[in-house]
Amino acid sequence: MATFTLKSFTGLRQSSPDQTRFVSHVPSSLSLPQRRTSLRVTASRASPNLANRKLRVAVIGGGPAGGAAAETLAQGGIETILIERKMDNCKPCGGAIPLCMVGEFNLPLDIIDRRVTKMKMISPSNIAVDIGRTLKEHEYIGMVRREVLDQYLRERAEKSGATVINGLFLKMDLPENWDTPYVLHYTEYDGKTGATGQKKTMEVDAVIGADGANSRVAKSIGAGDYDYAIAFQERIRIPDDKMTYYEDLAEMYVGDDVSPDFYGWVFPKCDHVAVGTGTVTHKGDIKKFQLATRNRAKDKILGGKIIRVEAHPIPEHPRPRRLSKRVALVGDAAGYVTKCSGEGIYFAAKSGRMCAEAIVEGSQNGKKMIDESDLRKYLEKWDKTYLPTYRVLDVLQKVFYRSNPAREAFVEMCGDEYVQKMTFDSYLYKRVAPGSPLEDLKLAVNTIGSVFRANALRREIEKLNV
Amino acid sequence: SKLISNHTFKTYSEELNRGETRQTERRLCVCVCVCVRKQQMSISMALFSPPISSPHQNSNLIPKISLSLLSTKRLSLVSLTRASSDNGTSTPASATVSATTVEAPKPVAVEEVPVKSPSENGAVGGEETDLTTTTTEIKFQDAKWVNGTWDLKQFEKEGKTDWDSVIVAEAKRRKWLEDNPETTSNDEPVLFDTSIIPWWAWMKRYHLPEAELLNGRAAMVGFFMAYFVDSLTGVGLVDQMGNFFCKTLLFVAVAGVLFIRKNEDLDKLKGLIEETTLYDKQWQAAWKEPESSSSSTVSSKK
Repeated sequence: MATFTLKSFTGLRQSSPDQTRFVSHVPSSLSLPQRRTSLRVTASRASPNLANRKLRVAVIGGGPAGGAAAETLAQGGIETILIERKMDNCKPCGGAIPLCMVGEFNLPLDIIDRRVTKMKMISPSNIAVDIGRTLKEHEYIGMVRREVLDQYLRERAEKSGATVINGLFLKMDLPENWDTPYVLHYTEYDGKTGATGQKKTMEVDAVIGADGANSRVAKSIGAGDYDYAIAFQERIRIPDDKMTYYEDLAEMYVGDDVSPDFYGWVFPKCDHVAVGTGTVTHKGDIKKFQLATRNRAKDKILGGKIIRVEAHPIPEHPRPRRLSKRVALVGDAAGYVTKCSGEGIYFAAKSGRMCAEAIVEGSQNGKKMIDESDLRKYLEKWDKTYLPTYRVLDVLQKVFYRSNPAREAFVEMCGDEYVQKMTFDSYLYKRVAPGSPLEDLKLAVNTIGSVFRANALRREIEKLNV
Repeated sequence: SKLISNHTFKTYSEELNRGETRQTERRLCVCVCVCVRKQQMSISMALFSPPISSPHQNSNLIPKISLSLLSTKRLSLVSLTRASSDNGTSTPASATVSATTVEAPKPVAVEEVPVKSPSENGAVGGEETDLTTTTTEIKFQDAKWVNGTWDLKQFEKEGKTDWDSVIVAEAKRRKWLEDNPETTSNDEPVLFDTSIIPWWAWMKRYHLPEAELLNGRAAMVGFFMAYFVDSLTGVGLVDQMGNFFCKTLLFVAVAGVLFIRKNEDLDKLKGLIEETTLYDKQWQAAWKEPESSSSSTVSSKK
C-alpha cells in the first residue's frame, strides 16, 4: 500500500469560536469501511504516519480511570489532554482499593488512610461473622479518600506530560471520515470556582471517556444505557472511643431491611465512618434502607454527627457499546463495576490503563493514526482477563442476595476459613485462584447445607406467620 | 422499573450537600409496622410540631424522630425522617409525628428527639445531625437465649436435646428480628450457628416429609403413565423400560416432580433461565452488530 503524504495538514489545535478553523482533508481514495463489522481485518499498520505531529488524545474525566489512562498515554509519547470538571471532587465512594492496586499503580503508602484487615459480616438475624483471620501480615484492604487518590493520579499524569484542563465536557462532534478529528465542545473554568467559564472547542484524534456513571461521552456515541444501583452514604463522625472499634475493621450488613438486593456498610475513613447502603430495584426506598442500616449499627455509632450526605449511581453491567470508532469508554462510564461487592476503583484505573496501552500500541507511540480495531484489542483483553471475575461475582450476587435465608447462609459460609482465604485471594490479587478440589467439595457440601438450613428456617417462619 | 434520569441524581446529591434548592422538595419517609393481636389496645395519636427558628434565609431542618414501642406480644415501630429544604420564601417546615402509645402490662419507653441543625448560608453546608438517641428499645429476649446463643440445656426433653424446639425457637427469633430489626452490639454479640443442630434433625423435620410428598407424586404419575402407555400400545411395564421414548418420559416425569412443586414454580423456572444468561448477554452486547443506528437498550432485569 502506498504511503500517503499529507498535504499541508497543519494539525489540530485548540481554538475558540472566533478563530477560524483550518482542516485539510486527506485524499479520499483511502477510505476505510465505516460500518463496524465483527470481521474487520484492517489494522492500524495501514494507517499513514501522522506527519510532524503526535497523536492527540483527549481523556474526559479525571478520576482513577482518567488519571491512569492519561498517565499511560503521556508516557507512551502521545499528546494527552485530560479534562476534569471539579479538581477537588469529594466523591461518594466506599474508597476501598485492593492490595494489587498499590503495587500495580505504584501508589505511595501515605495516600492510604487506613488498612482494613478485619471485616464483619452481619446477617439479618444479627449473627456476626469475623472475616480476616486468614490474611497475612502484609495483606490489607486500603481505604483511601477519593479526592486524594484522584489528585495524585492526575498529578502523575501531568508530570508524565499530559495537559490537565479544568473544564466541563459538553458535547462532541463525530467525524465523517476515518481521519477527521473529533471536535470537543467544553467549558473551561480556568481554575476559578463558581465562574461560568469560557466555551471552547478542541480537535483530537481519539477520545477516552472516563467521565463516570453519567457519562456524556457515552451519550455522544450512543453507547446505550445500563441498569444501575443507587448508593447512598452518610459520613458520620463518631466519638473516639467508638472509632477505635473501626480502627481496621469494616462491616457489612445484609438483610431485607437494609437492602433488598445489596448490602449496607460501615467503612472507616480517615477520621470518620461512612455508613451507607444501596439498591437497584427499590430506589425510592433508599432513605428507609439507610435508616435501617443506621439502626443496625446504632450502638456502635451512637453519639455521632452526620457531616455529609451523598448519593451516586453505580452501574450494574457494561453498556451495550463500549466503543465507537475512535472513542472508547473506561471505568464507570463503561460500567465496569462488579456485582456483589460493587467494587469499581481498581477496575476503573485498570481499564483506563489498558485502553491507553492499546492506543499507544496501535499508534506505535503516537506516530500513526489509530482506528477502531486498536480499541477493540483493549476490549478483547479486558473481557478475557476479567470476565470470569465478573461472572463469579454475578453468580454470588444472584444466589446469595436473593432473600433473607440466602443471606443467612451466605454469612454462615463466610465463617468458613477456606471461603475466607479464597475470597481474599481473589479480591486482593484479582485472580480467580484455583483451590484444592477436596476443599472445594467440602465447600460445596457446606454451602448446600447452609442454604438448606436457612430455607428450612424460612419455612418454619412462614408456618409461624399463619 | 423506570430509570430515573441521571440529572435527577446529580441535583439530588448536590442538593443534599449544599442546601440550596431550585425547588422546594419534601421527602417523607415513614415506616410503620403494627401487629394487632387479640388483646385490647388503646391508641392515642399525638401530633406535635417542633418550634422552628430560622434566622437565615436558607435553613435546613432535619428533625429526626424515632420511636419504638413495644407491648407484650406485638411491636409497633414508627420512624419518621424528613429532610426538607426551603427556598428563600422560607415556608416553615413542620415535622409531624404520630406516636402510638400502648397500654400494656410491659413498660413502654418512648423517646422523641427532635434535632435542629443550623446550616451556613450559601454554598456547601455541612449538615450536622446528632445521632444521640436515648431510645430504649426492647430487644429480643427469651429465657433460653443466653449470651447470644441458645442454651441447649434448657431444651432438654427426657434427657436429650429436643432439636425440633431449638429450630422453632430460632425461627421465632428470626421472625422477630425481621419484623423489628435490632442494632448489633459488641457487648452482646450473636453467636448462634445453625450447624450445631445435627443433620438428622433437619432431615427428619424438613427433608423427609417433602421427600415423602414428592415420592408419592412420582409414584402416582408413574403408575398412571405406565397404565396409560400399556393400554394404548399393549407394551407391558418391563418392556416399556427397554424403550428409549418411555425412558425419556420417565426422566421428564421425575424432573417435573422434582422441580415443579408449586404452581408458581413454572414461572420461577422460566425467570431463572433468563436470569442466568442475562449478565453474559449484557457483556457480549459490545461484540454484536448494532441493530440500528440508535443505541440498543438492554432489557432491565427487575
